[in-house]
Amino acid sequence: MAETVLHVNGVHRRYGSVQAVDDVSFSLARGGSLGIVGESGSGKTTTARIVVGLESADSGQIRVRGTGRTGRVRGRVARLARAREVQMVFQDPFLSLDPRVGVEAALRETLRLHFPGADHARRIAELLDQVGLGTRTRDALPRQLSGGQRQRVAIARALAVEPAILVLDEAVAALDVSVQAQILNLLADIRAQTGVGYLFITHDLGVVRCVTDDVIVMRQGRIVEAGSTEQVLSAPQHPYTRLLLESVPRPGWDPHAIAAARRALHHTASPSDSTNGQSTVHN
Amino acid sequence: MNTQEKHASCASTGSVTASPVLDIRGLRLRLPRTARPVLDGVDLTVAAGETVALVGESGSGKTLTSRSVLRLLPPGAGTEGAVRVAGEDVLTMSAARLRALRTGTAAMIFQDPRAAINPLRRIGDFLTESLRLNTGTSAEEAERRAGELLVAVGLAPAVMRQYPGQLSGGMLQRVMIAAALMGDPALLLADEATTALDVTTQAEVVALLGDLRDRFGTGLLFVTHDLGLAATISDRVYVMYAGRIVEAGPADALFARPRHPYTAALLAATPRLDAPQGRLNAIDGQPPDLKAELTGCPFAPRCVHATGICTEQAPEDRAVTAAPDGREHRVACHHSDRVTGSADHG
Amino acid sequence: MSVAVLRRPGLSRLRTPHAPLYLLCLAFVTVVVLAALLAPWISPADPNAVDLGNALAGPSAAHPFGVDSSGRDTLARLVTGARTSLLGPLGVVAFSTLAGVAIGTTAAWRGGWLDSVLSRSTELVFAFPGMLLAILIVAVYGEGLTAPVIALAVAYLPYVSRLTRSLVLAERQRPYVNAYVVQGHSAPQICLRHVLPNVGPVVLAQSTINFGYALIDLAGLSFLGLGVPALTPDWGRMVLDGQTAVQRGYPLSAIWPCVAIVLTVVAFNVVGERWADRVARRDR
Repeated sequence: MAETVLHVNGVHRRYGSVQAVDDVSFSLARGGSLGIVGESGSGKTTTARIVVGLESADSGQIRVRGTGRTGRVRGRVARLARAREVQMVFQDPFLSLDPRVGVEAALRETLRLHFPGADHARRIAELLDQVGLGTRTRDALPRQLSGGQRQRVAIARALAVEPAILVLDEAVAALDVSVQAQILNLLADIRAQTGVGYLFITHDLGVVRCVTDDVIVMRQGRIVEAGSTEQVLSAPQHPYTRLLLESVPRPGWDPHAIAAARRALHHTASPSDSTNGQSTVHN
Repeated sequence: MNTQEKHASCASTGSVTASPVLDIRGLRLRLPRTARPVLDGVDLTVAAGETVALVGESGSGKTLTSRSVLRLLPPGAGTEGAVRVAGEDVLTMSAARLRALRTGTAAMIFQDPRAAINPLRRIGDFLTESLRLNTGTSAEEAERRAGELLVAVGLAPAVMRQYPGQLSGGMLQRVMIAAALMGDPALLLADEATTALDVTTQAEVVALLGDLRDRFGTGLLFVTHDLGLAATISDRVYVMYAGRIVEAGPADALFARPRHPYTAALLAATPRLDAPQGRLNAIDGQPPDLKAELTGCPFAPRCVHATGICTEQAPEDRAVTAAPDGREHRVACHHSDRVTGSADHG
Repeated sequence: MSVAVLRRPGLSRLRTPHAPLYLLCLAFVTVVVLAALLAPWISPADPNAVDLGNALAGPSAAHPFGVDSSGRDTLARLVTGARTSLLGPLGVVAFSTLAGVAIGTTAAWRGGWLDSVLSRSTELVFAFPGMLLAILIVAVYGEGLTAPVIALAVAYLPYVSRLTRSLVLAERQRPYVNAYVVQGHSAPQICLRHVLPNVGPVVLAQSTINFGYALIDLAGLSFLGLGVPALTPDWGRMVLDGQTAVQRGYPLSAIWPCVAIVLTVVAFNVVGERWADRVARRDR
């Protein structure tokens, strides 16, 4: 398991006066699963988008299997090679599929781009089976599918490329609890079967516990704590991690104490930081 | 535990016996081009000073139920039953009474505060507008009240001169709560009011709602998909599935020992921090489609306990245990005795 | 983010939720288009047959719409005139839509300096009244349909390009476009296969509305004697030819083409607005 597939080193990104990502470094083992936890404004989504290539970093390196990912891509070959390194599943399954393109057509399009000349029909059946979609959904348009089914299509489409890493940006946050459990189980199965590595962006600590081996906790663009998921969740070192954990509703939960702790942390951490909308600017 | 005990005692001593601020009886709601009612015989009560959670997944009808309290119904909706707020039936009242209800007796806090506030108006205008226009309160009086309420929700009165864009999501939701309290409502409807917020902010807003309830004696109907949240903040919980209340009871009893397979399955499917790691117990299948007729129990196709009777006959809602303080634990299931699932996986 | 189709004030007030007006207008559009297509076969008489002895005769069995000052059959000229009167705006709309969509999409997708250059230069055209531009070009290139059509196409281009740009900008923000980028599809591929088909209906609705305006502008040019050659049957030209007859107390040969122009423009607008509304509803 020691082989590192993704290496992120000293990544910075600034939007205007906001340092959205501030010296973020982490690595992901082959077939591993790393969670990035944080609240809105923590920079977790920006980090994910930089890894995927939807945003560019101001400085720092991102390497996948030793190959750098910074800088613009030129040409078809380079573009496809990059796509095969990292794929992404987005938060909102209602917006991440082209409303006009059916399930099979969406998969075929991807396969045709990456594997021209292969037997697409067989691979499509395989992919649909892998994500637990029946053949009845093959011709369906996104609007005819439920949220969970759409997210399965999005996962199948990402897997079609056979990426080394799958970035899941709040991929189960928009789903109902019962469907969310289905998708989380599915993701665990897929990782076991294919050895794809996960970068799991979420605000939900329960979900992190369920699908990741390691976790990093981000706050205001910086990593405040990193370690194995079990260890970070059972013995958090940083006060912010503790606050996050205590904020999860459970029996005996005391919202007043959390509110007080949050205010205390806010004052000690960043005296210059004002609450005025800053935390909602970029995520 | 202390807050919970306080809430529970408050609810049981004060007002369960008095007439409830919200009393929904046999509410049935039909929409055009659907084969079955979207709400099918919903019974629900909220007493003064009581926090009631209405839990369900998308499409369960929980949002429609809360919106029907203000008669915010989709076009073409046909209703049966009664929705009484402070004794008056909302579904049959005149337009003038309805407006008085919406500005005074009952208020709603929406999920996304940013979408519910006009970004071009100052917070002060937003807060005082409805009071000034609908009740003829003077501008100074309305402003004074808005200032007080902003302090009550933990914001500085100076916020009145700011624009929504200058506030964070958590602050805006506080403004929404202050706005909801402007008309001095007897009933507060919170529709996924903390879903869009960060967890730490959620805790603050929940703490605030609890304080305000204790202070003003407002009844609170908290609509949410989050079982964990519902369990911790409410006195009583209603669980909805496919337009029906499948289980209702005191929060602690219902979560310690759910009697409906759906409640049990939902608890088991929720990723939790205190459960053993590993696979979640997902519920297979999908909730029933609105375009298909329903016979029998709506949960039967996904239920591990389902037998022949479940698909043929809709289960009657019945009391399983009566809590010592008289709050019943009711469930609509043929096999509620077989449900053993608890908050733990299993 | 929602984007509204650009409408000139006035005609938008004719919007109506009731279906009969829309159906009536759709029927009228169909009739006019069919008349234009089938003109050589259905025209009741030779539109250019001069019969000076019969000039300015009122409606009769032989000439149901009467004849003009040169004794030509008004109905025949209306039917045949539908060809040039519709062909011109069609050219305007086709050119302005194609070029406008290309410019708008490029500007929105590439952003940066290219967006600034394209957007500013198309907006420059807004500063020029379309008619003035057309008159200028006709003055330089002389009579003919091509010059005014190109001039008006340029004048209408900014409407389309601005709308397309805002639509593509909004569409680009959608995660599905991001998903295709991550999948490794090239930008032109994503634009042509996914973005344009999704914004297309709105642009086409705008173009339908533009069609009506282009028709009235071209008719105006013909009326001024610019544009179509003297003998070609054309509604605008017919109004010009009938003008002298109006002064002699015989308005009929000028009124008919006016009615045709007004009804066609209104019909195209109502149909276009209806489509735009339908697209807007579908998006919700």
